[in-house]
Amino acid sequence: MILLAYILAALAALAVIALSSTHRRMNAACIIHAALVVVLTVYILLFRQVPVASFLIGSQYFFMDSLGLYEVLVASVIFTCAAVYAGGYVESLLSSGELDQGSLKLFYASWTMLLLVLVLAFFCDNLALFWICAELTTILSALLVAILSARENIDAAIKYIFIASASMLFSFVGLIFLFETSRTVLGTGTLNWTALMQHASVFPAGMALAAFALVFIGFAAKSGIFPFHTWLPEAHAKAPSAVSAILSAVLLNVGIYGILRVYAIVHQTPAAATIAPLLALFGFLTVGIAAFSMLPQKNLKKLVAFSSVENMGLILIGVAVSTPLAIFWVLFHIMAHSLTKASLFFSAGILHRQYRSRLSTEADDEIRDVFRLQPLAAWGIIIGGLAITGMPLFPVFFSKLFILRELGHTSLPALFILLALLFVIASALGYFVISAFSRVTAAGTHSDIVPYVTPLTMKIPLVLLIGLIIITGVVFTQGETAFFERIVQELRF
Amino acid sequence: MIDAALVQGIIRILLVCVIITAAYIISTRNLLSLVSMYSLQSVTLVCLALALWALESSPVLLAIAAVSLVSKAIVIPYFIATIQEKIRIRRDIEFHFLSPTTSLLLSMALMLVVYMVLARVLRNSPVRENLFFFGAVIGISLMLMGMMVMLSRKRAITKVLGFLSMENGVLLFGMFVTELPFIIEFLIIIDLIILVLLTTILTVGIDSTLEDYHKRLHRFRLVGGTEEQP
Repeated sequence: MILLAYILAALAALAVIALSSTHRRMNAACIIHAALVVVLTVYILLFRQVPVASFLIGSQYFFMDSLGLYEVLVASVIFTCAAVYAGGYVESLLSSGELDQGSLKLFYASWTMLLLVLVLAFFCDNLALFWICAELTTILSALLVAILSARENIDAAIKYIFIASASMLFSFVGLIFLFETSRTVLGTGTLNWTALMQHASVFPAGMALAAFALVFIGFAAKSGIFPFHTWLPEAHAKAPSAVSAILSAVLLNVGIYGILRVYAIVHQTPAAATIAPLLALFGFLTVGIAAFSMLPQKNLKKLVAFSSVENMGLILIGVAVSTPLAIFWVLFHIMAHSLTKASLFFSAGILHRQYRSRLSTEADDEIRDVFRLQPLAAWGIIIGGLAITGMPLFPVFFSKLFILRELGHTSLPALFILLALLFVIASALGYFVISAFSRVTAAGTHSDIVPYVTPLTMKIPLVLLIGLIIITGVVFTQGETAFFERIVQELRF
Repeated sequence: MIDAALVQGIIRILLVCVIITAAYIISTRNLLSLVSMYSLQSVTLVCLALALWALESSPVLLAIAAVSLVSKAIVIPYFIATIQEKIRIRRDIEFHFLSPTTSLLLSMALMLVVYMVLARVLRNSPVRENLFFFGAVIGISLMLMGMMVMLSRKRAITKVLGFLSMENGVLLFGMFVTELPFIIEFLIIIDLIILVLLTTILTVGIDSTLEDYHKRLHRFRLVGGTEEQP
């Protein structure tokens, strides 16, 4: 029944957005909605028996287990910060004429719908229903990318829809395979994850392999795994930065979540021996392609977007190693990446408002005098960059360290290749930051750059996220460990 | 009850018809006939669902037939045709990567590959009956042919048609291999309609916002250069 509370909160927010005429009120509705989701999720985690017994519609379509709640918690925290950030960001889009006043309602309505569909997706027990929700997230987020109605935004959105949706059709064929397998084995067909998990060990390996391969195509496209990553940098770079943060920090997780769920099923069949190396291969290719795309990159948002591709590859490698410890740190890495990446996009957004390329987002950024003009964003990029490359004190450090350690137990050469690629990525980020941030106009010469006054609503979420990153990196409570261990147990790794 | 052998014969003929429509969608350059061919393909699918219903008499198939008829044979084609009127494109003669002839040859090769792979994968499932296996192969082939349309066409609106015919392939495959709960099928159709609406509207955007876009660019420069409020 508690699921209804989520739906009601979203509907209330939608109603407020539909009725209100000012930007401030619509934004407030989004912030309150996201905050409510955070509160609800924390409440369930603390005071309810997890997994929550779901309400029934014919058969079990929804359920709430620890993994789903965890993903919703990460998503809603990011959404809350991004909604606050959007307040200032959208205001500046409006005043520069990049966003029409008329599209405002559509923007906030799809924003709210997106959070609702995401929550439903993470709470789906039925995999086909999860597929539908994942499809809807693609559509709604593409709408948010296209909202600026500049030609390149529409191009990026259409590319995103076509690649993601066409690949998701393959996933659906995979699900049909899974359904047919369960019908052969169990008598009645089911796509409920809990039921499939119970009987997975008797599934024939050939069918499991075919089903997983097809499902993987779709969710890989959604999470930007090579060779389906081509939509990602464009959509992330061209979307308004508040949306980029969501795309990168939340929507990529949907794909990984799908892969994790279905892999948990086939992991129990003999097919796992064939699938794990394949996953690792795709992971390595993804990290590799990201590393060498980042090296010559001159556009900050694209650079950050490629770093997301890299992290998804790393997560995939962790899943492929599939020891309990590796999965534990993969789960941690999902959160660490989301928080860090959102903060990076927030900083990049401020810099983008300051130095917006005059011709197109395709062009190089012309960053100069950054410490004089936007000190907070500059430090945000530096701290976020250090965090995402995995420096100690930041959460990514631990997850990377332990995923690498587990990988080293499986294969030492693979570990060294990955280390080399990670080094390339770190140097690409470092090179960009040093060369862009050290550009200074000589004293005495007149600079024609007008300082952009960053509104407080864009600064607060950035500071908040950086604080959260440092806290998650330094503090590691007993409860947190127990919680992650429970998820690993639920996934039966 | 109608003779089962006759129905099976009809199903075979209909399956061949589906492939012919798919081949036509790959090769034609006329946009209007592309839409009507998609509509025809959907009608063929509806007939297939009805024929299967005559064989198996499961009510889900009847529901699928009804929903597909309304959405895919009438609403979506009508909507796309209206959009086409608006953006005034009649022909799509640009192809990249693949010319129609190569795509046709390629799809024939793909069908063979699909046949061989499915024969191996479905070895142990009850779908070994010849007719159902044939349907599954055609379904996957239709999907791959739709994907080829998406790859080889340049205009977004023809890509939408490619996507739709991919989806038809998935539906066909689902119909022949197994039967999913109706609510799922229904939700998928809704999802599809939203997707088509959005992509076609965006396609219009690509062609119509160009001037608007240049105006905006102009304003950018003003804002960036002097401190002028828009």
